[in-house]
Amino acid sequence: MKVFQALRYFFREAAVNLLRSWKVSLLAVLTIAVSLFIGGAFLLVSGNLSGSVERWRGEMRVLIYLKPETPEADLRRLAAEASRQPGVKSVEPVTAAAARQRFQEIFPGLADLVAGWQDEPLPASLEVGLDPAAAGQARNAWLEGWRRRPEVTLVDDDREWLGQLETVVAVVRAVGLSLVAGLLGAAIFTIASVIRLTAYLHHEEISVMRLVGATEFFIRGPFYVEGFLQGLLGGLVASGSLWGVYHFLHARGRGSLVSTVLVLDFLKPQEVGFLILLGGAAGLFGAVASLRREAL
Amino acid sequence: MIQFFHVSKRYPGGQSALDDVTFDIPRGQFVFLTGASGAGKTTLLRLIFREEVPSTGQILVNGRNVASIPQSKIPYLRRTIGVVFQDFRLIPRKTVFENVTYLPRLLGVDLQGQKKLAYQSLRRVGLAHRLNAFPPELSGGEQQRVAIARALINEPDILIADEPTGNLDPDLSREILRLFLEVNLRGTTVILATHDRDTIQRIGRRVITLDRGAVSSDQELVGTEPPVLDPVALETAEAAKAAEAAVETPAAEQPPEEARD
Repeated sequence: MKVFQALRYFFREAAVNLLRSWKVSLLAVLTIAVSLFIGGAFLLVSGNLSGSVERWRGEMRVLIYLKPETPEADLRRLAAEASRQPGVKSVEPVTAAAARQRFQEIFPGLADLVAGWQDEPLPASLEVGLDPAAAGQARNAWLEGWRRRPEVTLVDDDREWLGQLETVVAVVRAVGLSLVAGLLGAAIFTIASVIRLTAYLHHEEISVMRLVGATEFFIRGPFYVEGFLQGLLGGLVASGSLWGVYHFLHARGRGSLVSTVLVLDFLKPQEVGFLILLGGAAGLFGAVASLRREAL
Repeated sequence: MIQFFHVSKRYPGGQSALDDVTFDIPRGQFVFLTGASGAGKTTLLRLIFREEVPSTGQILVNGRNVASIPQSKIPYLRRTIGVVFQDFRLIPRKTVFENVTYLPRLLGVDLQGQKKLAYQSLRRVGLAHRLNAFPPELSGGEQQRVAIARALINEPDILIADEPTGNLDPDLSREILRLFLEVNLRGTTVILATHDRDTIQRIGRRVITLDRGAVSSDQELVGTEPPVLDPVALETAEAAKAAEAAVETPAAEQPPEEARD
């Protein structure tokens, strides 16, 4: 029998089996869909978080806060000095008055807090934009030098919390991976049970096929394809649901942390394809594993 | 065609099903295999199509030692043997057409070819008009005829039947038996297991009797009442024999229009 004809036969028989025992097939499809949905959600969140980290890394700044008594001329001198350092993209000197004004603009409800003081309540600072590519020991040493200067009270380096965020992304990925591995294992077990049940329901037909001279490949083929289709359908359901939830969150939480950081972009087409194929592979694996030791 | 050399079969519990069985069935012979229930008839038949493996001895089918052929080659052996059981073994949810075309389907015959083969095979058993029926819609005799059509669809060298009339009334049994005789006339070797002594006495032919797993007698019987064979079937059988001798194969018979859909 030619491969194409055999595959056509396998797919037709598998489709008939899926429709005939649609309740147990649905259970298998939903089990794999749930695990792939959770896996896809973790992929989506960690991908977006990674993207945000990368974006913020591009906008990475170091804030150098100066002592309140630092005159404006010194502020300008220090800014000029900082801008000469290799790897520094930009330096913006922010006077104490400008800092107060900015605070009042950003937090209008708290504007009274910084109003009416005899001296300026907020310190002058230098906002130093850094080239993300120019990281390393030299820059660390340069920042350390600033920390030791008498005019400086605090050096706030974005890299510290970006590093913490990267740890969060790694944790999210690890948790997601282990959760998906566990759920996928459960889904494979479900599919294996469904396939074994289907094979049992067809034992009479299998014995007839064996009697007339069907090869093991011909007998088992439809069951393998059935497992593959169940997994594939699970992957499709998971991707579709993920897409729906993504759009729902986007529509509901426009401008919120969730929509701008966690679910800003949907999965790439190749990631969706991977998710669907992963379902198919898991289904096929379940079918092969379930019939490996079965005498049928 | 089929040769048993000192074949014995013992099951794991130590129970002996066959004991030192030796016989030779030439091509084209019709053989009754008889004996009381539990004599080993079914085991002997199952050994021929490698459903069972002998504990000792050799079995040659078409010159091949079936006891030692690898697992992967068993399907190819079975494609040359048609098997009919007492309980028909038809799949109730599949149509008659689907039931009889398992083998052509797995051999990669296209749908049109399958329809042609199904029609030809079902016509031989007089059921060409029930192509689209489901087995539960058929009588016991009709179901057995469908099972025979399935066994014959690939023109097997050997036809094995295990108590094929066991579930049928006397009239239907005669009809089924006549079918086997007609198949034999076309050159197929037929081995029919039955414990119906009356039928054997009536029909005659070679009779191998088993008693507690051993061959107790192997004789040629002259029937008291030779069966009346269908003249059309006889004609077909003669034509088939002539075709075998001819150098060129005649054009295959085409099914009527309704069978081609």
